[in-house]
Amino acid sequence: MKVSELLEQRRENWQELERLCLIMESRRRKSLGAATLSRFAALYRAACADLALADAYQLPTNNVQYLHLLVGRAHNQLYRSRKFAFGKWIESLLVDVPQQIFQDRCVQAVFCLFWGVFTLSAVFASSEELWPGFAESIMGEDAISQMEESFSEPIDGRNPNQDFAMAGFYIQHNTGIGLRCFALGIAVVPGIWTTLFNAASLGAAFGFMARPDVPQGVNFFNFVTAHGPFELTAIVLSAGAGLRIGFSWIHTQGWTRSAALRIGAQNAMPIMGAAMVMFFLAALIEGFVSPSGFPLWSKQVVGIVSSGMLMFHFLVLGYPRRA
Amino acid sequence: MPDIPQLDSTISVVTPENISFDYRVAGPFQRLPAYLLDLMLAAVLFLFIQIGLSLTLGWLGSGLATGASLIIWFAIFWFYGGIFETWMNGQTPGKRLMGLRVLTVDGTPINGMQAVMRNVLRLADSMPLLSLEVLQIPVPVYVIPTFVLGVAVMAVNRRYQRLGDIVCGTLVVVEEPSWRLSGVAKIDDSRAAQLAEFIPPNFRVSRTLARALASYVDRRRFLSRERRSEIASPLADPLLQQFQLPPDTSPDLLLCSLYLKTFVSNRVEGAPRKRAANDSPFTNAESV
Repeated sequence: MKVSELLEQRRENWQELERLCLIMESRRRKSLGAATLSRFAALYRAACADLALADAYQLPTNNVQYLHLLVGRAHNQLYRSRKFAFGKWIESLLVDVPQQIFQDRCVQAVFCLFWGVFTLSAVFASSEELWPGFAESIMGEDAISQMEESFSEPIDGRNPNQDFAMAGFYIQHNTGIGLRCFALGIAVVPGIWTTLFNAASLGAAFGFMARPDVPQGVNFFNFVTAHGPFELTAIVLSAGAGLRIGFSWIHTQGWTRSAALRIGAQNAMPIMGAAMVMFFLAALIEGFVSPSGFPLWSKQVVGIVSSGMLMFHFLVLGYPRRA
Repeated sequence: MPDIPQLDSTISVVTPENISFDYRVAGPFQRLPAYLLDLMLAAVLFLFIQIGLSLTLGWLGSGLATGASLIIWFAIFWFYGGIFETWMNGQTPGKRLMGLRVLTVDGTPINGMQAVMRNVLRLADSMPLLSLEVLQIPVPVYVIPTFVLGVAVMAVNRRYQRLGDIVCGTLVVVEEPSWRLSGVAKIDDSRAAQLAEFIPPNFRVSRTLARALASYVDRRRFLSRERRSEIASPLADPLLQQFQLPPDTSPDLLLCSLYLKTFVSNRVEGAPRKRAANDSPFTNAESV
């Protein structure tokens, strides 16, 4: 059979498949009946067979290219992926993720580094004598005066405007820090540097505000108590997830570097997912509880409950089970 | 699927039906304009939201508007690409304008997680960052991306994946703009059909010759007369000798007639059986 006859024979099928692709790509997909869908599958298989035999048929190059496009387009309509699989995520968040976090060396390392530097920096910044000018050199004079100004008025819900502006700033600032630590973790050194730098400056902020001679300290702790546990833990987790990806291409365990990178990413994704959930919870608290006029003890309760939930998640759910 | 490193920037994807089809991978110089377009669109989007906020929430109080605009800034900065790529099936507005699309390495559409992650990880690709001081602004803030790391990673893998792409198992392909079944090339010159009858019936066109014929006839309409005979003659001259046709036969015409014989049919309708004296195929006159 000559090519031209073959093309005439197939043309109708191909053009029908093209029309169906067009419908599938638009919103009218749901209105297609079962018969049309199975017709689509059959046409797709036929086009696949034609493409497989294109060489044997001696199809001209432009027709082969057309077939490539057609098959690719139909393939993308047939093998669709789900946008977000929420049910599965919740299950893995409560069962697999805590186990993984508990045993993950990178998360452990980042946990120690972050909290170690944070505590040290807080101690140095908390007194004038221990290391004169420490807080100023870590955070910068401008940032300190800006912080003093933003916490100058008591948080009692009487000035919701300013409080919401502050909440908005800290949500974007701190979640941004977390995402930055994660993304830069792939390149290892910048990731560790960013994490340590932020640990030091956050610690310095806490320490500086804890000085007895800083009057804004009361307002500061009133603001951060409720959402602090979720937010700082989330930063630690996202930095740990980034570092897990970063170390995977250094310590490849026998894989090629790109394959090791992909495997590391697969391991890090659940940790990052948990961090995102925590950032989200922290943002909720930060938006509605922290800037509100609730009494300090209620914010402390929120802080203690959220710390308890985190402990439960990491230690109880995460404690290695015997198989 | 031949696993030979190739010069073309195409990759082939093997489907569950055991078919491999080709995609053209987008390189950095196709992706950069799309990214810049997206940056501009994001800036415009943020500006409009800002104006909208100050018109609505601004009445309630400037603090609320500031807080909301900071959160929207955050969302646009980190999730602009991720959200668009999830809901527009692997395209941001910039990518759509430039005709690019993000797919997974096995050719399927990407999912939401991959879309968000590959965009968050762009920060790592933009390393090292330069300080604002290079723009004569005396603020030592490292915010200017150079994308050196991303381009370096792109250069060493065959799919032009940046770090974020490797991590998420995605790649960016060029969407082919032309989408038409062109079928068999038309040859208007009736002399080609006449000449086809002089080709010995036992001559079998090999597979490679068929491919060469197809790509030649496909492209000859873009070539000038002189160029046609220049390109056709190395293939046609030995064939003319083999077929014992006059050596001044147009090489272009010979290839066209071989094409007709191979691809179209043995007998072309409308081709006159009897040749007119002034319309002989054995002339050097070029077909149009």
